[in-house]
Amino acid sequence: MRLKKKYIRIIMCAAIVIVVTVAGFVLASLIPDPPVEQVNAARIALSEAVSNDAHTYSKNLYSDAKSLYDSAMTSWQKENLRFIWFRDYSRAAEFAGMSEQKARQAARISRNNMTDLNILVGQKLEKLNHIAGQIDLRFDGYPLSSEVWSRISKGRMLLRESELAYRKGDFAQAKEKVDSSEFLLVDSYEKAIDHLEGYFASFPKWKQWVDRTIRESRQHQSYAVIIDKYSRKCFVYLGGIKKHEYNVELGKNWVGDKRERGDKATPEGMYRVVRKFGIGRTKYHKALLIDYPNETDKAEFRKAVADGTLPATARIGSLIEIHGDGGKGYDWTEGCIALTNEEMDVVYRIAREGMPVTIVGSTVSLDKLDE
Amino acid sequence: MGLAVISMIVVLTSCAKKPQAEIDAANAAIEAARTAEAAAYLPVEFAALQDSLNAVMTAITAKDSKLFKNFNAEAARLAEITTLANTVAANVAARKEEVKTEVSGLLTSIKTVIAENAVLIPKLPRGKEGAAVIEQIKADVATVDAAVAEAQSLFDNGSYMDALNKITAAKEKADGLNAEVKEVLTKARIRF
Repeated sequence: MRLKKKYIRIIMCAAIVIVVTVAGFVLASLIPDPPVEQVNAARIALSEAVSNDAHTYSKNLYSDAKSLYDSAMTSWQKENLRFIWFRDYSRAAEFAGMSEQKARQAARISRNNMTDLNILVGQKLEKLNHIAGQIDLRFDGYPLSSEVWSRISKGRMLLRESELAYRKGDFAQAKEKVDSSEFLLVDSYEKAIDHLEGYFASFPKWKQWVDRTIRESRQHQSYAVIIDKYSRKCFVYLGGIKKHEYNVELGKNWVGDKRERGDKATPEGMYRVVRKFGIGRTKYHKALLIDYPNETDKAEFRKAVADGTLPATARIGSLIEIHGDGGKGYDWTEGCIALTNEEMDVVYRIAREGMPVTIVGSTVSLDKLDE
Repeated sequence: MGLAVISMIVVLTSCAKKPQAEIDAANAAIEAARTAEAAAYLPVEFAALQDSLNAVMTAITAKDSKLFKNFNAEAARLAEITTLANTVAANVAARKEEVKTEVSGLLTSIKTVIAENAVLIPKLPRGKEGAAVIEQIKADVATVDAAVAEAQSLFDNGSYMDALNKITAAKEKADGLNAEVKEVLTKARIRF
């Protein structure tokens, strides 16, 4: 009887242990699984998005992904506070899933944006460097307004800043700078080109003068001088063939024809040497006085005064010469044409009174200037 | 019996606490690195730090969801992150000092060039005022002056990286201007 009671107790204890163990397993299996995998996947996706600079190049998506990740963590931590069997991680998992999706999207878009920006900024830099080169080529020494030069200067500085940012891989800053530079440079270049095109509208007339001068040199087997104001060149022809080519310096307002005395403009037209001044007879080494103003210039001056484009008090200019003392590297004369003394010696030696001196804006048309 | 099971569960689930002190320390260290502008000066290292902290926080929260908890490993990782964040902050300070020295040097040297330009420009030939080349030079001088003022302001506000970009471009411009003015003076046979 006693032994039987002992067996019953042992069996009871074993049964309790089994029941408790089974109950434990059953209860444990009822505990909901936390969203570890989903949150880790979202975290890795966010990290990849950061390494792809999504925080810069896909700001909104990255920001959304980050907020969703924070929401997932908050939701998860909040659920952890509840009694273990009452926890529900579905919202946290959902947030994490959405975060991962947005982060991957942000990384992809960021990569695309970076590639696009790289190409776009690269192209803009190339284009603006070309424009800056064209400004150097066409407008160095060209009398544009101080406002235009200021815009060009600022545009160039921003262009350089953009290049520095671009080289560092900071495409967002490079884009911002290049856009500002583009606004300044393109606008200034267009204004300058408009100005230049307006000036070159006289090219057909200039070409006629040049052709006539060369033809005369050929027919009379004589010397003739052609001054190209735009390229700052003096061409000496003999028998219709170019023999010498020199650099010249002009009046500072060289663009356009001379209109009145003191305007510091170099006249345009077909002239002739009327007098030679050797050493001691001019303050500019040697000089060749030309017949400015000729009858055409006088008629144009009278017309300008009559129609009011020049004041009644205006006086016509005179004493335009080709003279020495040049080679200073800038336009400094009152409207004359300056050569270096050595070159002036050559021109002075070959010049005779009556020698043609044709002064034009350019001997080359605007569309051929690049060549 | 039921009471015994519940008591056991309560005991087991509350056997370890989150390493809050370590979490706070790591967060503070990362915040200090952020304030030191680690994102701008050492972006890769800073991003790695943040990701490490996120990973540990995920692990802690995951463990917090379990019946049996032990945060020793996470506490150790948090301590490592704190140390690393302090190192990053120190490295940022060193890198910042380098950039600051570079900008400061450029500011000093550009001011020397600007002072020299201020002496040279009035020597440009008389009667040249208003000439195209002078207009270009004047425009460049104004642009450089504005850029230097902007860079100085950025420098004074501690934005050394932005100041560096600005002053580098300005220095190139000032040097170019200096060379151009000297070329004009040389051609005009004017001593300088």
